Amino acid sequence: MRPGWLRAPVSVAVALLVLVLAAVAAAFAPWIVPGATAQDLILGISGPGPGHPLGTDDLGRDVLSLLVAGARTAVPGALCVAVGSMVVGNLAGLPAGYLGGWVDALVMRWADLVFSLPALLVAIVVAGVLGGGYGLAIVVLVVLFAPTDTRVVRGAVLEQRHRPYVEAARMKNLSAWRIMTRHVWPNIAPVALANVFLNFAYALVSLASLSFLGLGVAAGSPDWGRTLSDNRTQFLANPWTVIAPGLAIIAVAAALNIVGDWLYERVDARGRAR
Amino acid sequence: MAHEGGITVEGLTVRQPETGRTLLSEVSFDVAPGESLAIVGESGSGKSLTVRATLGLLPRGLDATGRVVIDGVRVDDDPRARARQRGGVVSLLMQDPFTLLNPLRRVGRQIADGLPKGADARTEVPRLLAEVGLPADVAGRYPFQLSGGMRQRVGLAAALAGGPRVLVADEPTTALDATTQREVLALVRRVQRDRGMAFVLITHDLRLAFSTCDRVMVMYAGRIMETGGAGAVRDEQLHPYTRALLAAEPPADRRLAVIPAVPGSVPAHDAVAERCAFAARCSLAVPDCLATRPEPLAVRPGRLSACLRAAELPARPAPAPGVAPGPPVTAAPLLDLRDLRRSFAGAVRPALDGVSLTVAPGEVVGVVGESGSGKTTLARCVAGLERPDAGTVTLDGMDCSDYGRLGRTAVRQARRTAQMIFQDPYSTLNPARTIGATLAEALRADGRPASPGDVARLLGSVGLSRDMAGVRPAGLSGGERQRVAIARAVAGEPRLLICDEPVSALDVSVQAQILALLSDLRERLSMAMLFITHDLAVVRQVADRLYVLEAGRCVETGPADRVLDAPSHPYTRTLLSSVPTGSPNWLS
Amino acid sequence: MAGRNRDTSPPDGESQEAHDRVQGDGSPGDVLGGGPGGVFQGDASGERAQDDGPGEDPQGGGSGGGARGSGWGGFLGRRLLGTAVVVVLVSVGVFCLLYLAPGSVQQTLLGTRPATPETVAAIQARYHLDEPLPVQYLTWLGGVLRGDLGVSIRTGSPVADMIGERLPLTLALTGYGTLLAVLVGVPLGIAGAVRRGRATDRFVVTAGVVGLSAPPFAVGLLLLVVFAAWLGWFPVYGTGEGLVDRIWHLTLPAAALAVGAIGMLVRFSRAALIRELDQDYVVFARARGLGGAGALAYALRNSLVPILTAAGLVVTGMLAGTVLVEVTFALPGLGSLLVDSVTFKDVPVVQALALLLTLLIAAVNLLVDVGYSLADPRVRLGGRTS
Repeated sequence: MRPGWLRAPVSVAVALLVLVLAAVAAAFAPWIVPGATAQDLILGISGPGPGHPLGTDDLGRDVLSLLVAGARTAVPGALCVAVGSMVVGNLAGLPAGYLGGWVDALVMRWADLVFSLPALLVAIVVAGVLGGGYGLAIVVLVVLFAPTDTRVVRGAVLEQRHRPYVEAARMKNLSAWRIMTRHVWPNIAPVALANVFLNFAYALVSLASLSFLGLGVAAGSPDWGRTLSDNRTQFLANPWTVIAPGLAIIAVAAALNIVGDWLYERVDARGRAR
Repeated sequence: MAHEGGITVEGLTVRQPETGRTLLSEVSFDVAPGESLAIVGESGSGKSLTVRATLGLLPRGLDATGRVVIDGVRVDDDPRARARQRGGVVSLLMQDPFTLLNPLRRVGRQIADGLPKGADARTEVPRLLAEVGLPADVAGRYPFQLSGGMRQRVGLAAALAGGPRVLVADEPTTALDATTQREVLALVRRVQRDRGMAFVLITHDLRLAFSTCDRVMVMYAGRIMETGGAGAVRDEQLHPYTRALLAAEPPADRRLAVIPAVPGSVPAHDAVAERCAFAARCSLAVPDCLATRPEPLAVRPGRLSACLRAAELPARPAPAPGVAPGPPVTAAPLLDLRDLRRSFAGAVRPALDGVSLTVAPGEVVGVVGESGSGKTTLARCVAGLERPDAGTVTLDGMDCSDYGRLGRTAVRQARRTAQMIFQDPYSTLNPARTIGATLAEALRADGRPASPGDVARLLGSVGLSRDMAGVRPAGLSGGERQRVAIARAVAGEPRLLICDEPVSALDVSVQAQILALLSDLRERLSMAMLFITHDLAVVRQVADRLYVLEAGRCVETGPADRVLDAPSHPYTRTLLSSVPTGSPNWLS
Repeated sequence: MAGRNRDTSPPDGESQEAHDRVQGDGSPGDVLGGGPGGVFQGDASGERAQDDGPGEDPQGGGSGGGARGSGWGGFLGRRLLGTAVVVVLVSVGVFCLLYLAPGSVQQTLLGTRPATPETVAAIQARYHLDEPLPVQYLTWLGGVLRGDLGVSIRTGSPVADMIGERLPLTLALTGYGTLLAVLVGVPLGIAGAVRRGRATDRFVVTAGVVGLSAPPFAVGLLLLVVFAAWLGWFPVYGTGEGLVDRIWHLTLPAAALAVGAIGMLVRFSRAALIRELDQDYVVFARARGLGGAGALAYALRNSLVPILTAAGLVVTGMLAGTVLVEVTFALPGLGSLLVDSVTFKDVPVVQALALLLTLLIAAVNLLVDVGYSLADPRVRLGGRTS
């Protein structure tokens, strides 16, 4: 029998390929497409042609180069949000689930409150009133995402907390900290990891949305959401100016979701098989 | 041979095409109208798969081959015929009363859903409810408003709604308390006889099978071991496995010096495909047993046995005589519970309603009760996993009623005095850690050296090999996991071991091994034990003194043999009469 | 999944409680995700522990229906209270937006107007900026409660009028989008569950994930490219005159809005139905002759509650999505008003919109929870699941 990770379905393999491409683009964009933002105002907007496989936008920038360069802002920011909120979620959810009592009540009331607000709307309002910006957008999203992660972690901890192996550890007089970190956490880490992927996808879409509304990266940056926004009146002249970044966002987000779902299923299947 | 109203199965084999595994092979049996057959086996024997395959209800991913004739119609290759037969010809009663009913539909309607076309639900539903001993107004309730026993009765009424000629019941009482189990089984058998149905009962309990059915079929590792009339098999087993299974079931009427345990555990079908499945654990095995696969052959009329040596089996040894439990201990108690009380939010009544109990050093005290009696809450209060609302827990002279108020040293001392083992072998070990890491941590926590050698010694003390240290729990059988859990608990040689249903999730043959291990450790470490169980036969084997709990109160206490031989409280008598005896009169 | 349904999850612990009860076995309901995740994915909690059999229920005997103390009335009361607390806290937050904006409050409120004694006096008369903060808040809240939402800094017209003008379009767009999402998403999800593991199912699952991953603005622009620019079936911009024309104009925006919701509904309804189909009671129903259709009807009926819940929750996600869609299609609704006002730091309008959208979302969440609890007898009758 093949090991588990080799038995991934085709969709997961494709998704992983997409993610590798996006990661390479995000990491090496300045070397792959050094002059991505170089303008050619004389050329202006043009359809696909020699030298410009996907044409150019109204500033004469090459659409394909912008696509590659756009990963550099779109992907790392979303990763920061996903990882950041999961760190907060672990720090809050682990004690809330394991210790219960007032710690739990406090953390959960905070989570409930943030949870009842539509994340994107709050991000638009807060980022907008504060004046926008890439860093600000990331911080706001971390704050808004953390409650979900807290709930996920807490739920997973609650499921483990009354298992005999945890109670046996308590019977051995181990400290709460040691039980949380050495016994409970390794068993919920896969859930947390799967959730990082799902959050990553949602963060990518949310950051792109903010950029699209002009509340994320600065104007003219080669960000996918921003490029869509800059070209939303230009698509009649060169449709690739919106097709390329639009599909890029959808493809990477879908790939993240597919991988995240797959990880969840594996956690689930393992839980069932015991 | 195809009975009208009966069921005939020939050469039933179940495979999992995806992995190429075979789970069940060459199972054949038949049941005539009005006759009852019990299919008996431990987990992994394939007994449930047999009926699921017979009824065409296999889980997805499994394929069955073989001939199945129900009510004179061959159905194994005809899904439509199967669909036509369900309800009206053959019906199934399932195991778990808490999940078998649609939670969002009133039970009357659920019963009515299965009525034949044209039947009048207004008269039929009350009639069916009356048949299963329920008042008509139950029809208007939702399942969550009924107790487990009532739900299982509703399930029976629903299964009977179509007027089936064949009824199959898959462990219908395993999820119920012993007293409810007896009532429900008696009901099922009465209904079956009144209606003249063919009846197939799946169970893991041989004695229960003897008491309930006309014939018995014993399965092991996906194959048939032995079949025969219930009385005949009870009196003389023609397969060593049946013998071992029966011997491993502890008797409730006496204490055995040693319960004859079967070494090892149930193998997978494919691991023993070409030899006798039981040979590796059989004390009577000869080299031939490992060379060929014995088929079930008629040893005498009506008796099949899949043992090469069926004809030459030695006479069954006489039943072992009982021994007396340990003498009463008069020393000052190691554990002293006074008037313990504990309530849970939302519960109708307290889980513990004033229970007092003592355990002397080296003494084994049994606590017996059904679901909701408060016995687990009691154990958890003693272990400090639950805080009593009122009352005191004195452990070795130290007040341990509230671990939250004890100092660090006191808590450490209490934890080294009392340790606990739990019921579920599958979640008792941390799945993310190796056995070695778990045990080394336990040794360190108890202030002992924890070198690999020490871990190996600890493993040896519970009968496990030192190679297990590198394995994770997923690679262990249920019995092995429970051994590791015991090793973890006794790593620091505690003076009191709290055992919360330590064997009730295990198969009978493994249960005997664990009971033997516990009794061995108890002698070696001169530990006291607080042994929580619902099983009177098990507690008889281990306990010196007994407390019987009912609804959070202690109704009877005394030396184990006195309480079990001459119970003074009616509840204890009810409990005792609920233990399957294997006699055909048990249900009447 | 939890990450994605952020916008559509039940707001607080109370609804979690309802979901926990429905799980029916006392184990924590929110295993893998908060909110609907717990309900739809609750495999781990649905599983009965092996030791349930002869073991012991610390809550006491099996018979349910006894404890009515935390019945439906109590549930509803706590839900209402929770909603009220959220609304009050949000109103405080919304009020504080004024102080969050960079620069002095007075400057913010003046906007591009010159700081003449008259304009400053007008602001002073309205906002009482020299009073302590709580007083300012209460004054502002009193105005809001009387329907006085202030005056737009950008246009100088009353905020209430501006919102009144644009509200119908946003509501129509949300309603249209929800309709499309339910009509497409739920049947697809059911089809996937019924044909689980086959080609249909794989298509449905993949389509669902892609839909879920597609932000409305990207979908909107792609739809414009394909259906408006290339095929010319739909108009590029505008809202249309008359009912039919209006529907025609709103179809692409509503579709852009619906794609994400379809993805979510496909996933929820498929998971909910699969969960029910896997239950013992469905096998039991088949075993006693209810047939494929009868057993499916059981499962469908029981999964309908979570599916409809998800559909209701999708509405709240859509309200956020309208912002992006209205900007993409240049539609004059509340969303585009919000973006314009945010960009212009037109704080009174932003405050009013934020409050309104929060109220709308809280109301939908409350309705969903009430509907949910009404549809489930275990919550309605206040019984304990044993």
